[in-house]
Amino acid sequence: MSERYARQVQFPGVGPAGQAQLSTARVLLVGCGALGTVLANLLVRAGVGRLTIADRDYVEPSNLQRQVLFDDDDAARGRPKALAAAEKLRRVNPEVQVEPLVLDVNPANVAALVAEATLVLDGTDNFETRYLLNDACVQRGVPWVYAAAVGAHGATLAIVPSETPCLRCLYPDPPPPGTLPTCETDGVLAPAVGVVANLAAAEALKLLVGARDRLRRALVWLDVWTNAFEQLPLAAPRPDCPCCGQRQFVFLDAPTTSYALALCGRNTVQVVVPDRPRIALAELAARLTAVGPVRCDDDLLRLQVEGYEITVFPDARALIKGTTDLARARALYSRYIGA
Amino acid sequence: MSIRVRIPTPLRGLTGGAAEVQVDGASVAEAISQLEARYPGIAQRLKDENGELRRFVNLYVNGEDVRFLQGLDTHLKAGDEVSIVPAVAGGA
Repeated sequence: MSERYARQVQFPGVGPAGQAQLSTARVLLVGCGALGTVLANLLVRAGVGRLTIADRDYVEPSNLQRQVLFDDDDAARGRPKALAAAEKLRRVNPEVQVEPLVLDVNPANVAALVAEATLVLDGTDNFETRYLLNDACVQRGVPWVYAAAVGAHGATLAIVPSETPCLRCLYPDPPPPGTLPTCETDGVLAPAVGVVANLAAAEALKLLVGARDRLRRALVWLDVWTNAFEQLPLAAPRPDCPCCGQRQFVFLDAPTTSYALALCGRNTVQVVVPDRPRIALAELAARLTAVGPVRCDDDLLRLQVEGYEITVFPDARALIKGTTDLARARALYSRYIGA
Repeated sequence: MSIRVRIPTPLRGLTGGAAEVQVDGASVAEAISQLEARYPGIAQRLKDENGELRRFVNLYVNGEDVRFLQGLDTHLKAGDEVSIVPAVAGGA
């Protein structure tokens, strides 16, 4: 057994058998921000077989306070998070296959992504994606670990479909936008994120080495500033749960026409056009230089125009910074990138 | 009938910073009314316009989710502990 995992193998809960199981694990991490970078770091060092990192966003300076895989250079270049993370992680542990996906997880692609995974980890920052992951994981029978953090508090829960409550057993309906704190409204402390992500990773390790009897089976809610720590044991899945009880996967079946959504507490709108052929960014850049300053590389194009900053990815997804108005964002998209 | 209610961080602005308050009430609904009388505005963070428990806030009585009990009608006795646990969305 590789010397790399000696200390982990030495732990009786893992042992050589557990390590062998880890090496066959295919983990999907959705979101590679504060929670996701901590989760990715832990799982890659633990020696999973493959880690697929899906993140739609790019590194910014305000990330560096807590997003442990990114550095100053990544922020200066505005690198896509999935790519920057993968690069770091390959140097941490070349034995792990790290697969970065710069994309938006949505109803059109989530089922295929989850089908490839033995475990899904929540590094997202919004409930919309969490409900989607929950639907996909429950439908497929893949365990996933919910994790969330903002301000100085956070929560986490391991979800094993048909065995434990799912996300909708706990929260039947998505919270309306604007009802919960976001990192922009309430800030976020790195230690809070770190504790939550580490607790989530511990549950993940238990699932991956087959130690289901060790699962916490409780929602953890903690606050590192007020020193609160609640463990709320959860009963069995709810028979009337629309997702795991009645198997109505409404988030999975949502329409996949183009849509816009305002991002977690930021002055930015994301526009997604599913099923659009890949954009040749260099060609688009050439057209847009007439309009305003354009920066372009293989991963993204960035245009400054009308006081907005528009970032375009090869899959035609765009982040329009400087507005939270969805209609305005779509108009800008149409104007500069096309219908 | 003294009930201990634990107030999560996001709601402490309404309770003057208090993390735990004591109220009376024979049921969860009554306890919330008492909370509202003392800390105006807290009820609407817990209940929607129809008077139903908001779906993204969990209330626990002695560690049990009231949705698995009798919801707002869940009975309370002296010494019971009610925890308010709101959903957490952030993570970026």
